[in-house]
Amino acid sequence: MEFFLQLLLNGIVVGSIYSLVGLGFVVIYKSTSVLNFAQGEFLVLGAYVCLTLTVQHQVPFVWAFLLTLAFSALLGILTERLILRPMIGEPVISLIMVTLGLSSLLKAIIQGIWGTELRPFPDIFPAQPVQLGPLPVSQGYLYSLLGVAVLLVLFSLFFKFTRSGVAMRATAFSQQVSLSMGISVKRIFALAWSIAAVVSAIGGVLLAGVRGGLDGAMAFFGLKVIPVVILGGLDSIAGAIVGGPIMGILENLAGGYLDPLVGGGAKEVAPFFVLVLILSFKPYGLFGKIKIERV
Amino acid sequence: MKVRKSLAAILAAVLVPAAAAAQQEIKVGGIFDLTGVTSDVGKPFAQGVQDCVAVTNDAGGINGKKIKLLGADYAYKIDQARALYKKLVNDDKVVLIQGWGTGDTEALKDFVGQDKIPYFSGSFAAPLSDPAKFPYNFFVAPTYSEQLRSWLDWVKQDYAKSGGKGKAKVGFMFGDNAYGKAPIAAGKKYAAEIGVDVVDEAVLPPNFQDATSQLLTMKQKGVEYAYINVTTTGVSLVLRDAKKLGLSVKFGSNPYGFSESLVAVAGPLAEGVTGVVPHVPYGTPVPGMKMLEAAHQKYHPTDKHDALYVRGWAHCLVWTEGLRGAEKAGQLNGPGVKAAIEKLSDFSTGGLSQSVTYTPTDHRPTMTTSIYQIQGGKLVKIGDYIMPRTKDWFGL
Amino acid sequence: MRCGDFRQTYAEDMSLFESPLPRVLLTALLVFLLVLPQFATTYWLDVLNRICIAIIGAVGLNVVTGYTGLISLGTAAFLAVGGFATAAMAGKAGLPFVIVIPLSGLLTAMVGLVFGIPSLRLKGLYLAVATLAAHYIVEFSVTHWDSVTGGVNGISIPPAHFAGLSLSDDRKMFYLVFPVTVGLLFFAKNLFRTKVGKAFVAIRDQDISAEVMGVNVFRYKLLSFAVSSFIVGVAGSLLAYQARIISPENFPITLAIDYLGMVIIGGLGSILGSIFGAIFITLLPEMLRLATDALGAHWPGLMVIVAPIKMGVFGLVVILFLIFEPDGMAARWNHIKAYWKLYPFSY
Repeated sequence: MEFFLQLLLNGIVVGSIYSLVGLGFVVIYKSTSVLNFAQGEFLVLGAYVCLTLTVQHQVPFVWAFLLTLAFSALLGILTERLILRPMIGEPVISLIMVTLGLSSLLKAIIQGIWGTELRPFPDIFPAQPVQLGPLPVSQGYLYSLLGVAVLLVLFSLFFKFTRSGVAMRATAFSQQVSLSMGISVKRIFALAWSIAAVVSAIGGVLLAGVRGGLDGAMAFFGLKVIPVVILGGLDSIAGAIVGGPIMGILENLAGGYLDPLVGGGAKEVAPFFVLVLILSFKPYGLFGKIKIERV
Repeated sequence: MKVRKSLAAILAAVLVPAAAAAQQEIKVGGIFDLTGVTSDVGKPFAQGVQDCVAVTNDAGGINGKKIKLLGADYAYKIDQARALYKKLVNDDKVVLIQGWGTGDTEALKDFVGQDKIPYFSGSFAAPLSDPAKFPYNFFVAPTYSEQLRSWLDWVKQDYAKSGGKGKAKVGFMFGDNAYGKAPIAAGKKYAAEIGVDVVDEAVLPPNFQDATSQLLTMKQKGVEYAYINVTTTGVSLVLRDAKKLGLSVKFGSNPYGFSESLVAVAGPLAEGVTGVVPHVPYGTPVPGMKMLEAAHQKYHPTDKHDALYVRGWAHCLVWTEGLRGAEKAGQLNGPGVKAAIEKLSDFSTGGLSQSVTYTPTDHRPTMTTSIYQIQGGKLVKIGDYIMPRTKDWFGL
Repeated sequence: MRCGDFRQTYAEDMSLFESPLPRVLLTALLVFLLVLPQFATTYWLDVLNRICIAIIGAVGLNVVTGYTGLISLGTAAFLAVGGFATAAMAGKAGLPFVIVIPLSGLLTAMVGLVFGIPSLRLKGLYLAVATLAAHYIVEFSVTHWDSVTGGVNGISIPPAHFAGLSLSDDRKMFYLVFPVTVGLLFFAKNLFRTKVGKAFVAIRDQDISAEVMGVNVFRYKLLSFAVSSFIVGVAGSLLAYQARIISPENFPITLAIDYLGMVIIGGLGSILGSIFGAIFITLLPEMLRLATDALGAHWPGLMVIVAPIKMGVFGLVVILFLIFEPDGMAARWNHIKAYWKLYPFSY
């Protein structure tokens, strides 16, 4: 039983990082209808910037972290302005491909500057785990759980009460209508990208802190989160928040119970099985908005 | 007729000096991983090889002939390695290739035999050391299987020393690829022979971020010792999760997971971890290290180096010696170089690795495996384990 | 010089060639390509074969993605199915290639049918991710089905053989790969002159309208997946024969992304585009590598630095193409052709 509970708990806390990164996907998709395959690189880039600031320039961690967020916001705006804006109105597949191209480009930049070797990341969390009853949990994951909770509240308030939030929702509903209502869609797009980049950077720093080391392979995380957001529904914040732990739990249960039976690998593939299964009943994910098509 | 003659003369004038110049250099191919999934360990290795070639050339090359290293990145992709290999062998006409990973080396081994090109790999998979099957494959370390056997010997000793009763319970954690799985079968067999219980085998997927479920299974099965057969990043992740779960397992790792960079990444978590170190850590006071330190000063005084860099050097030192022998015999071609390497007996790399011996019937370079332990953030040697050179284990 | 559209009948409108000239030029090109291997070095033959295989794969992907509008990230998986089917049939059963290649294609088509089923309910990005799931499921299967696929160690394939003929090197291999490529290109080109092909395009443009007009969307979407996977499976089979050894590591998700890149850079819904895209994406790393080799002689440290540049250039090229030539190289080619046709009166 403890085995099961431990797997469950681990699934939830690991899933919280999925949720966190997933939020980035959703915010972009919600307002711009782009699925950003370069999210993983945003994550790594954020973590590297933070690492460089703290280790090479000896900036205190908190300041380095804030600077990283500022950098990421800028990165998001630049990406939107230079790459995504000229693509407005292009078909979905072109949008996918342009973010895949962006991912290659960023990967190259990351490798060019920082190389591929593993760099130790400063210990931002104590390695000592926290005991939840009999079950130990990494502090890093707890922070991410906390982060997700805070962001959830923030985003809900933001989308409900702020001008920009409402404008974003309007843009998501219909770009043309919002334009004619006087909303600057360009500004909304830039805002969405910078929010996503910032959220990714937070995820990146947390993840690097949990791993204790940083290298380009962490970008793989971006790809892993895609099933999470699809599961929850691409345009649903709640979907991302719920989808993360679901995927995390699925992975851990598959890892704990199936891996020993099939000789490994089930941990990676089982979530995809379940994803396809769920999608065949809920084609727009658990909480995704069902698109009504008209000819 | 006249035109043709003069054309021929011009051609000759253009081509002959080129050919003459070409004779003065020896072409060696390099298939490195600089950007792929193992580039964390592949890059320092490639740098070691490059530096060693540069130093050799500065010191006059191979009996006056310069080595031309035609190296390229294959990003740990087998198809790219295959394409590169074809180019190196058929178009560039190299006499030897320094390769890298287990997957690609295994993929190329049949072609290497057909084309008669000595092929040094960064992979130490045991089948490659059997010349009856793969006469042109070489490497400079005990095989992965010997390494695991030696580590199991250490486990047995350590278990007895720490007052354990019955059989030590061992778990294997390995990556889901040819490199990860290479020594597992041999390890299980040997464990049964010496009376160590292998109670769990866990697969670590590529680019995994979290090994909790695997470690929980280990905890459930009561594993006391675990061998982690992945590269450094993965090892440090496993150590971190093990610490979180409060596991008291004693971990060990392979030459691509255990080096100075593990200390740097895992910090205090790495304390007490054992590992196989076939090539000494950078800075170890052995005679051969002076050359490396000089190269470091000369080419890139700001870089940091580790045992992987030393590994690149050790491989290069062995094959340059082979090239030297072949040159002396006037046989600078694949079979000639192979023959020259197979004459190496107890050849010393200046302490960078164990002395190596190759014979036409046995390509196991050495049977001695050095096991190190991380103590106080330093890699400390705790013993040399010598395996018998038996026929039974040949290629296994 | 013909400058304008002179087609007057439906038959002419449907014809592959507007005038005799392209036919002559195409024949000349084919003949040229047929004799080329006699002069090429092994390296270039290898590249040539890989280009041909990439063309087949890109055409296959274009059928489902470019013509039917269903985004597929499963190309690498289908290549793997074709490749491992070939390994099993040619290696274990020792069948000749004339049987193995079509059978590998058929087997892949069946797998494609299964993974095409979600397309009936899923659209756009959701479907793309379902095919991503297909990729991981296939990858898992080939990695763990050791008895058939050789697992992580991979499996070797004997040289393609038929009636005493053994295609043991790249030069001989070319004379298998090239005709298959040309044959499949004509098949694909003609497919879109038929009812089936037109139905695919109708589904892409607006599936609901297509259904209203009487196209059985259910059937044609599946058919599209089947045809596409058949072609990709043939590419996988040839790839196995050419590489002579394959392992699951040969078919990573990045391969599927490369193929998507080919189709998009070349031009979605264009056979010519698939050819351009495949040539471009296959040659790009080779060119960069040659450049590195040439410069590396003067600057040995270059190798380490240039490695990421290769990736960066790929990304940059994809982005620039999408921004400045969203319809792909095929569209650019047609612009250039039109410009010269009308020269000097082009506007």
